[in-house]
Amino acid sequence: MSGPAPILKVDKLCKAFGGIVVADNVDVTIDRGEILGLIGPNGAGKTSLFNLVSGVLKPDSGAIYLDGALVTGDPLYRRARSGVARTWQNMMLFKTMSVMENLLIAPRDYPGEKIGRLLLMTGRVRAAEQAAKARALGILDRLELGRAADANVTDLPFGHQKLIGLARALMNDGSLLLLDEPMAGVEGAAYETMQRVVREEAASGRAVCVVEHNVSFIKDLCTRAVFMAQGRILETGSVDDLLKSKVLTDLYFGV
Amino acid sequence: MLIDLLLNNPVVLLQILWTGAVTSLSLVLLTVAFALTQKVTGLWNFAQAGFMGLAFYAMYFVLNNLDWPLPVAVAAGVIAASGAGLLTEIFGLDVLRARKSGNLTFFIFTLILSEFIIYWLALLFGTEPQTLYKSILSPVQIIGGVAVSNWELQAVAITAVMLTALWAYLNWSKQGQFIIAVSDNAKLAELYGISSKRAYRVVAVIAGMFICAGMFLIGSRGGLTPNSPMEFVLTATIATLLGGMGRVFAAAVAAVVLALIQSFSVLEIPARWQSLLLYVFLFVAIVLFPQGISFKRRRRIEKPSAPPAEPASQPAATADTAAKV
Amino acid sequence: MEYILNIGVQVAIFIILASSYNLVIGYGGLASVAHPIFYAFGAYGASLLSIHFGVPAVLAVVAGGLIAALASVALALSSLRVSGDYLLIASLGFQLGFLQVIRNFDFTGGAGGLSTIPSTITGAYRTPAFLALTVSCAIATVWLISRIVQGPYGRAITAMRDEELAFTALGRNAMSIKVVVFAIGCGIAGIAGGLYAFYYQYVSPDQYEVLQSAAILTMVVLGGMGTTWGPVVGAILLIAVPQAITFLNLPPSVMAPVQGIIFTSLVLLFLFLRPSGLVGGSGSKPKVGSESATGATGAKT
Repeated sequence: MSGPAPILKVDKLCKAFGGIVVADNVDVTIDRGEILGLIGPNGAGKTSLFNLVSGVLKPDSGAIYLDGALVTGDPLYRRARSGVARTWQNMMLFKTMSVMENLLIAPRDYPGEKIGRLLLMTGRVRAAEQAAKARALGILDRLELGRAADANVTDLPFGHQKLIGLARALMNDGSLLLLDEPMAGVEGAAYETMQRVVREEAASGRAVCVVEHNVSFIKDLCTRAVFMAQGRILETGSVDDLLKSKVLTDLYFGV
Repeated sequence: MLIDLLLNNPVVLLQILWTGAVTSLSLVLLTVAFALTQKVTGLWNFAQAGFMGLAFYAMYFVLNNLDWPLPVAVAAGVIAASGAGLLTEIFGLDVLRARKSGNLTFFIFTLILSEFIIYWLALLFGTEPQTLYKSILSPVQIIGGVAVSNWELQAVAITAVMLTALWAYLNWSKQGQFIIAVSDNAKLAELYGISSKRAYRVVAVIAGMFICAGMFLIGSRGGLTPNSPMEFVLTATIATLLGGMGRVFAAAVAAVVLALIQSFSVLEIPARWQSLLLYVFLFVAIVLFPQGISFKRRRRIEKPSAPPAEPASQPAATADTAAKV
Repeated sequence: MEYILNIGVQVAIFIILASSYNLVIGYGGLASVAHPIFYAFGAYGASLLSIHFGVPAVLAVVAGGLIAALASVALALSSLRVSGDYLLIASLGFQLGFLQVIRNFDFTGGAGGLSTIPSTITGAYRTPAFLALTVSCAIATVWLISRIVQGPYGRAITAMRDEELAFTALGRNAMSIKVVVFAIGCGIAGIAGGLYAFYYQYVSPDQYEVLQSAAILTMVVLGGMGTTWGPVVGAILLIAVPQAITFLNLPPSVMAPVQGIIFTSLVLLFLFLRPSGLVGGSGSKPKVGSESATGATGAKT
C-alpha cells in the first residue's frame, strides 16, 4: 500500500460470546474520503464490528488502528476522542432533551464537562457553548432541520430522528464515521438528504462505513463493499461484483 | 493460636465444621428465595426482609399468643410470606413494570416496603429479641464424638427436602421450565405464550415458602428482632453475588461458605467485630468478584435452537447492543 | 421562641441533606441509600478534629465535608465499575458496616456517642446565630446545585441518564461525571454533619441509621426528585409533621416506629400516586430517576 495511512485499519480481529462468534479474523481498512459498505445477513457481525471499532466491545484478539495509532485497549469514551463518531441502529437519542441539546452535548471538546472549569472558567465554557451552538445550527440547516432545533427529539417523525442521530455524529466530528442502518425506516426527502450529507462528509475527507440492508443505497454510495456472514468477511469488492456472486446472494436473500 | 490447637483436635474441628454448616442452612433457604427471585425477575428484592419478618412474627403470634400447634403456625408463616410476596408482585412490581420504571424506582420500592413492614412489626411486637419457643434447647446425641442436636437434624432434613423439591420442580415440571424460560429471556418467553407475570407470581409464592422455612429454623434456635432480617437479606445478597447472578444453587453453596468462614473467624476475631465481617465480604464480592466466582466460563451453547441469549459476562448496557448483531 | 428557632436550624440542615441527596439520586441517577453515613463522616470527622486537635470549628466542618467526599469516592469507584446496580447494594453495606465501626471503636465514643464537642458560639444569640449560619449554608447548597444541574454540566448529566452508552460513545466520561456528582453530593452531606455536630454538641451512631435514609429519601421523593425546590419543600414538611407527633408524648419505643411508618408510607404513596412529587409537574416528561430515565434495560438487569 502506498500513500497516507488509512483512517481505520482493523487487523485480525476476533470476538466471541460463549459459542457465538461475532468476529472471526476480520481485516478491514477504510481510507480517507472512502465510503465502505458493510452488508450481510442478520447476525453476520456487522453491528458487532461497529461495537468493536467504537470501543463498546473489547476484542478477544486482534488490533484496531485509527489514523495509524493503536487504539485497541482504549475505553469507549477515549475512542470517540480519538476520532470515531457513530450512529446507532436504534438511534439512542437523548430522549428527554431537545434537538439542539442533543447536538450541543456531542462536540469532542466539551469544557462544560469538568465541574472546576464550569465554576471557575465561565468565559471559556460560554465561548465553547456559543461556538457549538453555531455549528449545530449549521449542521441542522444542511439536514434541512433548522426549524426543529427547539423541539423535543421524540416529537420528531422517525425519519427526522434518524437524521438527528447523524447530526449528532457529525457534531462529534470524528475522522471516522460509522453509520448503523441509517436508512432503515427512512423514506422520501429524508432519504435524499441522508445520501447527500453522507457523500459530502466523505468528500470533506472523512472515512465512512455504512451498515445497510438497503442495497440500492449502498450501490449508489459505495465504491467498495464488504460482505460478512457469521463473523467472517467472505468477500470484498465493488457492490456489483458482490451482488453477482451466487453464493453471497443465496446467503443474503436465500432464507 | 487457637487454629493450631484445632488442627491437633480433629473432633473439635469436625464439631465446628458441622455446627457452622448446619447453622448456615437457614441462610441457605433465605438465599435460595432471594437468588431465585433475582434470577427470574431480575430484581434485588429487598422487600424479602419484610417478608421474613412477617413469616417469623406470624409463626410467633400463632405459637405464643394463640397457643396453637406448629402446623398452623407454619401455615400462617407461609401465608404471610407468600401472600405478602404475591401482593407485592400484583399491586407493586407489576404496576412499576407497566410504567417502565427505572431500576432506581424498583429499588426504592422494595427497600422502603421492607422498612415499612419492619416498622409495623417493631410497633406491634417491640424491638426485644423473641424466639418461637420458650425454650430453645434441643436434645443432643453424640455421633462419632460430634454433638448433633435434634434441631440440627431437623434443619438438614428441611433443607434437603426443600432444595430437592425445588430442583425437581424447576427441571421436571412444565411450570418450572416456564420459569426458567422467563428468567432466560422474558420477552422471548412471551412470544412463545409463556406469561412472565405468572412466572413472577409463582416465584413469589415459592420464595415465601423458603423464607418461612428459613425463618422457622432461625427462630427456633435463637432470638430475632424486627431488624434482623435486613442482615439476612444482605447475607443473601452477598451469597448471590458470589455465586454468580442467575445461579441459584451456587448462591446456596456460597451462603454455606460465608457462614463457615464466619464461624471459624470467631476464633481469631473478637465477637463485637463479627458482624463487620459481613460487610467486608460484601465489598470483597463487589470489588473482586462482580460477576461471581466462576469455574467454567466459556460453555458452548449446545442446542442450536437456543436463542442467542445476551452474553452473560457483559454489562447489561453493552449486551443490549451486542445482541442485535 | 427558642423552640421555633431550633426547628429552623433542623429544617435548614435537612434542606442541605435532602438537596444534596437529590443531586445524587435525582439528578445523578445514582442509587445510593448511604447518605446518612456521609452525614456521619462529616459529623464525626469535624467533632473528632475539634476535640482531639483543637481544629477551629469552620475548618473542622470543611474537613468533615472533605472526609465525606473522599469516602464517597472510594465507595463509588469500588462499586460503579461494573454496573450502577452494585452501588445500591454496596451503599447499604457501606452504611451499616461503618455504623458498626463507629459503634465499636472507643475513640468514636462507641454506641453512646460523642458528647464533648466544644462550644463555638455562646451566649444569648447562639441559636439565632446558628440559624443564620445554617440557613445561609442551605441557600448556598440549593444555589450551587441548581448551578451545577443547569447549563452544560446539567445537560451532560441528563444525557448520561437518558442513554449512557451513546453518551460515552460521544467521548464523554460518564464514570468521572458519576464520581464527581456523588462526591459533591456526599461532601455537602458531610458539611451538614459538621454543622449538626457543632450545634447540638452531641453525635451518636443511632442518628445515621437506615431510618435516617428513609427520612431523607422521603423528603426527596415527596418534594419531587430531580427538581430544585422539591427537596426543600420535602424537608420543611417532613420536619414539621413529626413535630406534631412529639406533642402526643409517646414513649420512644412507639415514637420511632410510628415515625418510620409515616416516612415509609409517604414514600410508597408518592411512588405510586404521584411519582413526580409535590413540586414536579404531573403527567409531563418523566422526571429523573423516578421513571424510565435511569435504566434503559428497565426491570431486567
